[in-house]
Amino acid sequence: MAYDVQTWINLAAYVGGGLAMGLGAVGAAIGEGYTAAQANEALGQNPEMSGDVFKSMLVGQAIAESASIFALVIAILLLFVNPSAPSAITASSLFGAGLCMGLGAIGSGVGSGIPGGQACLGIVRQPAAAGKLTTNMLIGSAVCQTPAIFAMVVALVLIFIDYSNAPLFPTWAALIGAGLSMGLSAIGSGMGGGFAAGASCEGIARQPESAANVTTTMLVGQAVSQTPAIFGLLISFVLMFKSHEASTTLSASMALLGAGICMGFGGIGPGIGNGMAAEGAVRWVARNMSHAGELMRIMLVGQAVSQSTAIYAMVISLVLIFVL
Amino acid sequence: MIESVRETQKKYCSRAIIIAIFAGLFLIAGDYRPIGKGLVLGTLFSVVNFVLIGETLPLRLGKIKSKTLAIALGSIIFRYALLVVPLILAVKMEQLNFAATVCGIFMVQMMIIVDHFKTAITSTFRTIIK
Repeated sequence: MAYDVQTWINLAAYVGGGLAMGLGAVGAAIGEGYTAAQANEALGQNPEMSGDVFKSMLVGQAIAESASIFALVIAILLLFVNPSAPSAITASSLFGAGLCMGLGAIGSGVGSGIPGGQACLGIVRQPAAAGKLTTNMLIGSAVCQTPAIFAMVVALVLIFIDYSNAPLFPTWAALIGAGLSMGLSAIGSGMGGGFAAGASCEGIARQPESAANVTTTMLVGQAVSQTPAIFGLLISFVLMFKSHEASTTLSASMALLGAGICMGFGGIGPGIGNGMAAEGAVRWVARNMSHAGELMRIMLVGQAVSQSTAIYAMVISLVLIFVL
Repeated sequence: MIESVRETQKKYCSRAIIIAIFAGLFLIAGDYRPIGKGLVLGTLFSVVNFVLIGETLPLRLGKIKSKTLAIALGSIIFRYALLVVPLILAVKMEQLNFAATVCGIFMVQMMIIVDHFKTAITSTFRTIIK
């Protein structure tokens, strides 16, 4: 049974759209569920604070679901896209876009739900610091969205750049690899950022005077946690914009697809690990403000070591792209 | 409890709508009709989505974790089915700009972030002046 090019494009766009929204909803639902679960605990501890807890939960959830709204936008674009120069390669770019956005929204959705939940618990513990907690939660949640924004940028490039002049083999693999590299590596960074933001809300509730130190440590920790997603973005851009020589051998395509898979999976662990290091530092800065500088240094050293595995993954991806 | 949620909704929704209407009017007057219309339409649905988040909040509380998760997922699917409407309209109709509609969909979130950043900056300045 033979299919024409348009059928392949439709098939890829529909599957890509389904993946974008289906996977994109997973993270936000888990994040929102976590926030609500923590709000339950908060209300159980102090039902009189229900108004403030609800307010914090409402605002937190509105921000937390941004990642899945990005996924929704990409899904709609994929379902109704009308490529200017349809070719067989368009099918792989559209499928790659869907994969990229769907996977890329998971980590941010889960991660941004964590500060929301911790803020609800913190408000009950320290009602006077409700304003500081909500502001900190919003900053933390907003930073958690960065990997999802990177994923949306890559998905938009994959949808709108015209690859019709590029050779089908091995460019099809490079475009799917680009989607996988960005989408998978965003998972760890999104979740890791959430750990740091959650710990900062907990810390401010414990010691409201430490808010400035805690927020600074959180932002530095989150920034380093985003690095694996930036590596993923870099490999995606190389895969999307490097001109690949035409080659019908399977190995050339697999090298490019492998580069995307390598960086994507290689970015998950370091993103989460960096977030854990930041979480620990932020938590202890709140308890021991006088040693904030040392705690931040230890956090950065720990994150640098945790980061090394993402660097190995990036090196192997670059070897797969440029050497093999 | 619900009053406090309603107050928050009223505050951010009214700001979002007012800004969208004024920006929309300026854009329409400046002959950027599709952008203005898209922004207002997206903002309207952003407001409806935010109101629905608030209305479904009580349903999620007082339940076990797995049930909370199921309700959260159901709520997302329902609200997203609603958010799809302006996006499809923007894709299908030339009178609506897609990018502006997407900006409108994030208008309430933008109002929340701007409001809290403004408060944080103001309180920092006050502390410095003191």
